[in-house]
Amino acid sequence: MKFLCVSCDEAMKLKEVNPPERGSLTVVYGCPRCQHEIAMLTNPYETQVVASLGVRVGGESAETEGASKCPFSGVVQSMGGGPEDLKIGFPWTPEASLRLENMPEFARPMAKTGIETYAKERGLTQIDAQVLEQAKNFFGM
Amino acid sequence: MKGYYDIVGDGGSDILEQVEAQQASIARSLSGVRNLLAVGSGKGGVGKSTLTMQLACALRELGHAVSILDADLNGPCQARLGTLQDRVLVPDDSGVPVPKTRNGIGVVSMGMVVPEPRAVEFESVASGSSHTWRATKEFTVLRELLACMNWGKLDYLLVDLPPGAERIVQYAELLGPAALFVLVTIPSDMSRGIVARSLDALAKTPNRILGYIENMDGYYCSDCGRVKPLFPVPSDVKLDLDCLGTVPFDPELAALCDRGGSLADSPGSFSWQPVQRIAEEVCRRASECAPYSKERR
Ligand SMILES: [Zn+2]
Repeated sequence: MKFLCVSCDEAMKLKEVNPPERGSLTVVYGCPRCQHEIAMLTNPYETQVVASLGVRVGGESAETEGASKCPFSGVVQSMGGGPEDLKIGFPWTPEASLRLENMPEFARPMAKTGIETYAKERGLTQIDAQVLEQAKNFFGM
Repeated sequence: MKGYYDIVGDGGSDILEQVEAQQASIARSLSGVRNLLAVGSGKGGVGKSTLTMQLACALRELGHAVSILDADLNGPCQARLGTLQDRVLVPDDSGVPVPKTRNGIGVVSMGMVVPEPRAVEFESVASGSSHTWRATKEFTVLRELLACMNWGKLDYLLVDLPPGAERIVQYAELLGPAALFVLVTIPSDMSRGIVARSLDALAKTPNRILGYIENMDGYYCSDCGRVKPLFPVPSDVKLDLDCLGTVPFDPELAALCDRGGSLADSPGSFSWQPVQRIAEEVCRRASECAPYSKERR
């Protein structure tokens, strides 16, 4: 979708994306010539269609929580595990957390639980890169 | 007044670029795959998933590096077939290594991501409308799995497709024009009829179909030691496609599968030889095709 400022015959530029509220996304566009601003307000169906593509309106620069290194960004919500499953029982070092972001979001809750269980059974107290390597070898990968 | 194509770029929504980035990361991830072989049917319940695993074992026996992607998100069974349902996916620096069965076959399945008996669910902001977006989301999940796994160098990546004759075209588009197809049927009119539909749907794509496999072609009678017909009347429905081979129903195989075993562990089994011959035929035909990694894009 593109937006045109009719009076200037100039393509408008995305200025701001507000996170979905009750399923509606607010995307503000402005005309670089006359500074006129408009907002596109999506209905939940439109929001969902974009979300289902695994993309984020505004791309990588858009502010989102728990942003992923995976090119398919955070709009794809976790499945098979809600936020409860993500409750951290163990501290993860930044390096280990970064590795977890190499996984699709939907795969993280189960991986996290499995790795933490592996660590717990061995009396470990935190998840770092070394523990991940050990777990990887243990699980035969 | 300017039109859509007069404007360069998308004004910052970046959606097209992100979709292209997804495609590029899949191409990168699959760059070591020589043959991508989609195993489909259209019809459910023809033993396609079990046959896919057995075919993978036979290809492995021939010395090939083989992995399986279970594309059936709603009825994943490859994790269980490979006794990998309790396997934890552990990410490393560059992605996620592919877990392997004890026969050395890599398996990626939603069964490793969603614990049984949970159904695959997607969160949505549009309640009660999943029919409008669920298929899109399922393909997004598959693209993510394809892109994020470290497939490495593979001679064969088998993709176990879910049922649905019409959707087979969408899988062909997802996997690209160089993906090869094998269709699985059983000797019934209904199954062959649905496979004929899949064949018709695939005819509109540039993808090559190597042939079909007739599964459950008779059963082994342990009393008389012969293979007897499972379906009393042979099917009249002709498929305009080469038959790669037939595989009889094998109770031994069913029991083995429940234990996560493979026919390769039981070389004396009477259905192992047919599967091996099919694997050889698949190799022969695939070798006539351009490598997947080169032709994909
Ligand atoms: Zn203007």
